[in-house]
Amino acid sequence: MSLLAIILLPFLGSLCAAFMPANARNVEAWLAGTAALATTVLVASLYGDIQAEGVLRASVPWAPSLGLEFSLRMDGFAWVFALLVAAMGTLVVLYARYYMSPEDPVPRFFSFFLAFMGAMLGVVLSGNLIQLAMFWELTSLASFMLIAYWNHRVDARRGARMALTVTATGGLALLAGMLILGHIAGSYDLDVVLQAGDTIRAHAWYPAALALVVLGALTKSAQFPFHFWLPHAMAAPTPVSAYLHSATMVKAGVFLLARLWPVLAGTEAWFWIVGSAGLLSLVVGAYLALFQRDMKGVLAYSTISHLGLITLLLGMNSPLALVAAVFHIINHATFKASLFMAAGIVDHETGTRDMTRLSGLYRAMPITATLALVAAASMAGVPLLNGFLSKEMFFAETVFIDRPDFQRLGLPMAATLAGMFSVAYSLRFIHCVFFGRPARDLPRAPHEPPGWMLAPSALLVFACLLVGMFPAHTIGPFLAVATQSILGASTPEYSLAIWHGFNLPLMMSLAALAGGIVLYQLLLRRRADTVPLLERLDGKRAFDFVQTALSTGSERLLRILVSRRLQVQLLLIVVFALAAVLLPLTADRAGWTLASPGLPDPAFALLWLVGGACALGTAYKAKRHRLAALVLSGGTGLATCLTFAWFSAPDLALTQLTVEVVTVVLLLLGLRWLPRRNDASAPDIPTSTRLRRWRDRSIALLAGGGLGSLAYIVLTRPAGEGISPFFLEQALPLGGGLNVVNVILVDFRGFDTLGEITVLGIVALTVYALLRRFRPAPESMELTQQQQEHSAPPPDTDAVLPPGPMAVPAVLVRLLMPLALLVSLYFLLRGHNAPGGGFVGGLVLATTVILQYIVGGTVWVESRSRLHPPHWIALGLLAAAAAGCGAWLASLPFLTSLAWHGSLPLVGELHISTVLLFDIGVYMLVVGATVLMLVALAHQSLRAHHRKPARAGEE
Amino acid sequence: MSGWTAHLPVLPVVLPLIAGAAIVLIDDGKRPLRALLAVLATLTQLGVALWLAGIAGGLLHSPWGGEIAVYAAGNWAAPFGIVLVVDRLSALLLVLTAALGLMTLLYSLARWDRAGVNFLPLFQFLLMGLNGAFLTGDLFNLFVFFEVLLAASYGLLLHGSGAARVRAGLHYIAVNLVASLLFLLGAALIYGVAGTLNLADIARKLPALTGADRSLFDIGAVLLGIVFLVKAAAWPLNFWLTPAYSSAAAPVAGVFALMTKVGVYALLRLGTLFEPGGRPPLFGGDWLFYSGLATIATGAAGMLAAQQLGRLAGHAVIVSSGTLLAAIGLLGNQYTPSLLLYLCSSVLATGAFFMLIEMVERNRSYGADLLAVSFEAFGLADPDDPTGPDDVVGIAIPAAMAFLGLSFVMCALLITGLPPLSGFVAKFGLIAAALEGAAGLTPVGSWALIAALLLSGLAGLIALTRNGIRVFWSNARSTPRLQVAEAGPVAALLLLCVALAALAGPAMDYLQGTAATLHAPERYIDAVLQAEGAGQ
Repeated sequence: MSLLAIILLPFLGSLCAAFMPANARNVEAWLAGTAALATTVLVASLYGDIQAEGVLRASVPWAPSLGLEFSLRMDGFAWVFALLVAAMGTLVVLYARYYMSPEDPVPRFFSFFLAFMGAMLGVVLSGNLIQLAMFWELTSLASFMLIAYWNHRVDARRGARMALTVTATGGLALLAGMLILGHIAGSYDLDVVLQAGDTIRAHAWYPAALALVVLGALTKSAQFPFHFWLPHAMAAPTPVSAYLHSATMVKAGVFLLARLWPVLAGTEAWFWIVGSAGLLSLVVGAYLALFQRDMKGVLAYSTISHLGLITLLLGMNSPLALVAAVFHIINHATFKASLFMAAGIVDHETGTRDMTRLSGLYRAMPITATLALVAAASMAGVPLLNGFLSKEMFFAETVFIDRPDFQRLGLPMAATLAGMFSVAYSLRFIHCVFFGRPARDLPRAPHEPPGWMLAPSALLVFACLLVGMFPAHTIGPFLAVATQSILGASTPEYSLAIWHGFNLPLMMSLAALAGGIVLYQLLLRRRADTVPLLERLDGKRAFDFVQTALSTGSERLLRILVSRRLQVQLLLIVVFALAAVLLPLTADRAGWTLASPGLPDPAFALLWLVGGACALGTAYKAKRHRLAALVLSGGTGLATCLTFAWFSAPDLALTQLTVEVVTVVLLLLGLRWLPRRNDASAPDIPTSTRLRRWRDRSIALLAGGGLGSLAYIVLTRPAGEGISPFFLEQALPLGGGLNVVNVILVDFRGFDTLGEITVLGIVALTVYALLRRFRPAPESMELTQQQQEHSAPPPDTDAVLPPGPMAVPAVLVRLLMPLALLVSLYFLLRGHNAPGGGFVGGLVLATTVILQYIVGGTVWVESRSRLHPPHWIALGLLAAAAAGCGAWLASLPFLTSLAWHGSLPLVGELHISTVLLFDIGVYMLVVGATVLMLVALAHQSLRAHHRKPARAGEE
Repeated sequence: MSGWTAHLPVLPVVLPLIAGAAIVLIDDGKRPLRALLAVLATLTQLGVALWLAGIAGGLLHSPWGGEIAVYAAGNWAAPFGIVLVVDRLSALLLVLTAALGLMTLLYSLARWDRAGVNFLPLFQFLLMGLNGAFLTGDLFNLFVFFEVLLAASYGLLLHGSGAARVRAGLHYIAVNLVASLLFLLGAALIYGVAGTLNLADIARKLPALTGADRSLFDIGAVLLGIVFLVKAAAWPLNFWLTPAYSSAAAPVAGVFALMTKVGVYALLRLGTLFEPGGRPPLFGGDWLFYSGLATIATGAAGMLAAQQLGRLAGHAVIVSSGTLLAAIGLLGNQYTPSLLLYLCSSVLATGAFFMLIEMVERNRSYGADLLAVSFEAFGLADPDDPTGPDDVVGIAIPAAMAFLGLSFVMCALLITGLPPLSGFVAKFGLIAAALEGAAGLTPVGSWALIAALLLSGLAGLIALTRNGIRVFWSNARSTPRLQVAEAGPVAALLLLCVALAALAGPAMDYLQGTAATLHAPERYIDAVLQAEGAGQ
């Protein structure tokens, strides 16, 4: 339970902090401080349990089927690390209270700060690999937010992005690695995985898992060659640097390597990958730290170097080295955090961190200087300080390593070299900033900070001294608990004494000290501002290059792989359809038989010849002569109608005919508004265009031919057993209608019809919505030639007949109206038993309305009647739905037909069915949809007319 | 049948139909009434969908005595009439549709519904089409509902007009009309060979089809496969998607996040139904897998190259489609539960993202419109003096900014599949399943899938951080003004994703049940063909 509280407390605090007012600096600090302190106390209080029980566990089931469990596990190592995280957090909160300016939006700071703390504790205490990876990514995210805290600054934004990209990439790799580990071990539970070390190391996937996990760890711990993000992360406020980027988050990588040490370590691959990354980071980091101008820059590179030291120790495959690594993790956290705090204080009180501008601050801020001096000495590995102890252990490990010759020689030398660098940059850090002549023209006059701001740093320095002088009595037990929990029975004997006699490691330390001082003297003479030798090794530039290359490369790739042109897309669809159709044909199957068509009737053949010719003509004329193409397509439609009639499908023929008429008329009305084609045909068409056209032609031929043959094959094969006989047989007995087509439409498959009429209604509504906002091309705005010749007067709504040549057609069309209405009703009502139905009826009525509009003119028609086509659509849909829902009253499914058969006085025998209501719905909808499209088109020309005089008036 | 609960399966179709038609009848002047009707209808749909999911999941009492509901429209039993079938998968997608629909609808009521006429009816018809497509057990009826949802989507895509919308919209219409034609051809071929349109009946007759009949059937099925791949936005049939989605009105794009999943659903449904009789090509198998990988690759490249958040989101949709297709295409049934979780998570996330983008972009000042990539390539605006004082104070940010920022981060986490939200759980499940495959049947393919999942997440992360930083942290910006009606739905969708992650246990239980039903198609077939009706 208290384990859960350790994780939850910081997150709860984070949540509270987020909702406080922007200027509540003190309250925020109190809140964060309390949360952090409480967590520290909680962690500390568990020490007894850890000693007694070894491992504490708590778990909450989460997604057991995925093998996920929210489980917390605290052993000695995790306890030490958790204490480090929590205690450091408390100190840094105190420091941050004084560091942050009153104008800074502190809720965001403390909220993310506490969230990070929770996430970090989550990493440390995770008892499940996947959960660990989750918290891992959360720390990256919190770090991103904190680095970019001053997000108005470019360097903060860039640094944050770089850090996130690198660490989150590593996090993804880590996740993959964890999944592989879990897969091999059979569980993601840490205990199980820790037991399965031998299985894992022997598994074929071990190298992959190792590489991925190590990639995660190295990116997180800013190890070479992924170290470059850390110096840029220094754009964060200093408390963040002190906490995340020296004491805790960057330690997550080495924490993980130590955590999984029993599982992954002990192989050559481990030694080479982890060891070499550590060694390179150790040397290169220390070297680069020598040449930084920014105080935080020095510390950042020094952090890289010290983490490299830890990584190298972990990579040595020796238990004693592991002990040294754990020890150094703790030591580094204490002295480095305190140095960061010092750098922050200097920055805060002088306004700059540039070491070329700072000097002689000792006089203005003696306490700060003393604290920094001690911490830096620890960093350099001066005796009687904690840094010395772990560094000594490290030197001893490099000397006594059990490897072939060149490694035995090279390693101690490299270690001593790095030690020299370390001494030199520590010296420079202190000497340059605090000693020498007092600096002039600093942004602010330096003075000592408030006492509480110094307190955390002082406490840490005190710890350095204490541990440095009495290691066995201070850190000893804790270190023992931590290493015991990792190594178990194989924990080696070690001694934490300061004095081990005059031995090789001590000589190395002394050499490093002396060499460092000499190196610093040499460095002082140097004036150049560049880094010798490694100037070209710029991770940031490489990072930027990769980022830019990624986006430009993607763009180039997209240009090849994706087109924005419709033609290309349609071509691809057709080609892929063609290719896909060939797939089943590759399967070798027998049974392809082609029935002989027999000789067709000459009249029928002629009909199809004409129809086919019309279709070809449509395609041919479509580009330049829209009118001709439209007329020809009408010809094809008529041929289709006649075909239906020929094969005794009067219903289809009738429907096809009316549909054909209405669509062609509506399209004709729309033609007026299409932009004019550029008729100037180019004299010489380039070859590429010719080729493209031939390609398109052949694809069209292939597609059309293929489709034709498919249709032919399916039509000529013997009809199999299917559902169609049922419809033919049951239309009258069960459907109550003689017209099978109509019974299918309104009863057997009425649900389809309901959907289809909805589609029609939607299309009409869409056309209306689109045309309402339609602005025609300028060249089609002017009146047509005919309208200009007969400059018609504005329509007179009171006149009975339109004047001029339209008078006679108007009479005829108006006479037609009642007749057509009757016919349409007749079709509607008889539909169930004879050709007809709501669809045809509706189209007949719509046609005469169209005629009224065409002949009488929009204004005249609408002055006499106001149709509300959208209402017709809505009512039609509602009628059809009501016919469907009616069945519910009889406890029958939707759209079940209910019939009443009886006789009424005067009327006689009557058969009424809900099917009729359904068909009335279809009828109304068809009328409404067709007329709505008509009205939308008609008003287009009206609006054009209205606009004209308005513009004339302006001129 | 007795009791009105027996009619639950048809309500997701009938309710939006009636609501849509009724809204057309109400005057434009009575806007509150129209809005109220639309919200009520959608809310009821959500209730019905949840109820159906509860029944299908075995949590609630089943009025039809079983988990799979078969509703014979017109009381004509299968295979003669049209049946609606509710199993766990259908119910899940109904819930997803209703939830996303409700949130996008609420969002649109803040202002988008007034950008043109008939938004609310078209929106209801779209829901009707989606629900119908998820419910129907009949091939031709599937076509009909595809048409309903497409017709409505044409209208919605063009909603608000403007040159960009009309251009993208007409491309979209043209592509989908071609796809519809192919659908019709495929359905006709299958009917011609199998003599039936009922999916269960087709599946039952499939083993008996041999020789040329089987080839003809496969040709029909392959045409359907192409159609579904067009809908699911598989490369190279997906060029229409990004322009259309990025130019659509925000709530429309939000609800469109679900549209590609209709294609995925159809592939999954038909693919699993045909499984015992032999899947036709394109319904699972290598082709699907490779096209999925290619889709992920182009989507990821698109995200990296995107200079606009809208296009970025469009490519995110493509990546999610590719992921689903690749996972469906791999041999083995262990992917299905995680794949469905991924589907839900990515639909909710991209839906929220499209709406969020609109809110974010609305508040952006002119200066921030510099292109992200050139911004980076040329290192523009890097005037920071390295020697200047470091403790520059920050700028107080109002809560609206915090909300937008937090939502953006959550969307980014969901889309890239980073922890701790549902996107991560889903991707984790997929990778775990792929590892199982890597040790077993499909060593190469599974590793490829794992790499694709991780790398596409990485690409998304890079693209989203770059664009997010540019949009949120550029210096010149005005204080955003947000309405609760807009922020609320986005927050709700994201909270759903949080819930999906927190309740991953129960969610995965349901999804594993779903996968089990899906991969035991005989249950579906038996349920459909044994259901009673007047026809027999």
